[in-house]
Amino acid sequence: MVSEAPDTVIELKNVAKVFGSTTAVRDLSFCVPKGTAFGLIGPNGAGKTTTLKMMMGILPCTNGRMNILGLDVSSHPQTIKQRLGYVPEQNFIHRWMRVGEAINFCRSFYPTWNEPLCGEMLKRFDLGGGKKVRHLSKGMLAKLSLVLALAHDPEVLILDEPMGGLDPIAREEFLEGVMANLADQHRTVVFSSHLLGDVQRMVQTVGIIDRGELLTLSSMDNLLKETKRIRGVLRDGCQPKQPPAHTIWQRVQGREWLVTVGNFTSDLPLQLKSTNPVQDVEVIDLTLEDIFKDYIKGRRVQR
Amino acid sequence: MSINTNTSVPIYQQIADHVRGRVAAGIHRPGEMLPSIRALAIELVVNPNTVQRAYDELDWEGLVELRRGVGFVVTEQGVRVARNQLEQAARGSFSQGIVLARSANISEESIRGIFDRAMSDSGVREGGGT
Repeated sequence: MVSEAPDTVIELKNVAKVFGSTTAVRDLSFCVPKGTAFGLIGPNGAGKTTTLKMMMGILPCTNGRMNILGLDVSSHPQTIKQRLGYVPEQNFIHRWMRVGEAINFCRSFYPTWNEPLCGEMLKRFDLGGGKKVRHLSKGMLAKLSLVLALAHDPEVLILDEPMGGLDPIAREEFLEGVMANLADQHRTVVFSSHLLGDVQRMVQTVGIIDRGELLTLSSMDNLLKETKRIRGVLRDGCQPKQPPAHTIWQRVQGREWLVTVGNFTSDLPLQLKSTNPVQDVEVIDLTLEDIFKDYIKGRRVQR
Repeated sequence: MSINTNTSVPIYQQIADHVRGRVAAGIHRPGEMLPSIRALAIELVVNPNTVQRAYDELDWEGLVELRRGVGFVVTEQGVRVARNQLEQAARGSFSQGIVLARSANISEESIRGIFDRAMSDSGVREGGGT
């Protein structure tokens, strides 16, 4: 694992979370450097929300250590909440309030409240103070949730599936609001979403988790560059002999052998040809969605 | 321009290609400033760090230079650099096509025929470059 560098803002070391007999997070370790965006992707129930809640200090870790901004999260719950911004899946804004009342309510908790920033974002999102929260559309509610998470100028922004159920326009406006508040600042972001295209736009580093475990952790660029699917045409009646190292997923169907590898290099096709009964190999580029699915499917087959 | 997340081409690469194309086409001329990192990040809805990475690459290859207090400015040799890069990319695409055709046992003569047809299909451009 990456050792603790001076510019590390978030550090998880062997973090685990157990609910009764269920292990939600098994053994999670990773670091997020200052000013970068980290994406956490995984199927439903992988432990993403639990992990983010532990970062916010909403849930205590069962095991391991969680340091954010140099502070142990469990012993500094108040400071953590002051210095982090959080957009949860289910927003916590009181439905009976008006937008302006919700703003006033939140402002009272934060000494670092940035009034001009708050005003600018409300204007960007066309959120009038007089509107009742319960009358807001899903998109407007998500945007208000983002304003409330950013208005105290947090050093770390945590977004947990913030755009679920939003239409493409609302999603784009929401993301623009995030991007506009990353530039010129050194804000660190943790973003979890099933909208993989949006994750790809937002983050530099991505972790794929499944059943509470990290399957891979990589820069987005390297993940796309080094994860490839190879199609081998098997000789009649032959089976693959030696799957390559770092095989993520593979399937044999008739003469077709598909194998996805996590450490592709240009000499791999020839190597594969020399160690397996294949007459031809072809390299197939993968999108983030393909890569995600192959990692998850590969795990399902193993068990 | 819109970012394509349905490809294995990294986003910073897509942005760099986009800028190269615009410089080669004369939309951004030598001495002119590229859009600010923040403005382009918001326009394309991508992380500003990613735009920074694309601009750094263009800086490294000499297409733009960072002027303090101004921003990234297209260099005098920027157009030539952009064309060279695009030519290389085009050559790569052709090579890929040729490899594909050869793997299907298509003769060299037929490959040339395919090329000529593709050329006429994509429209005639008079004059070419300067």
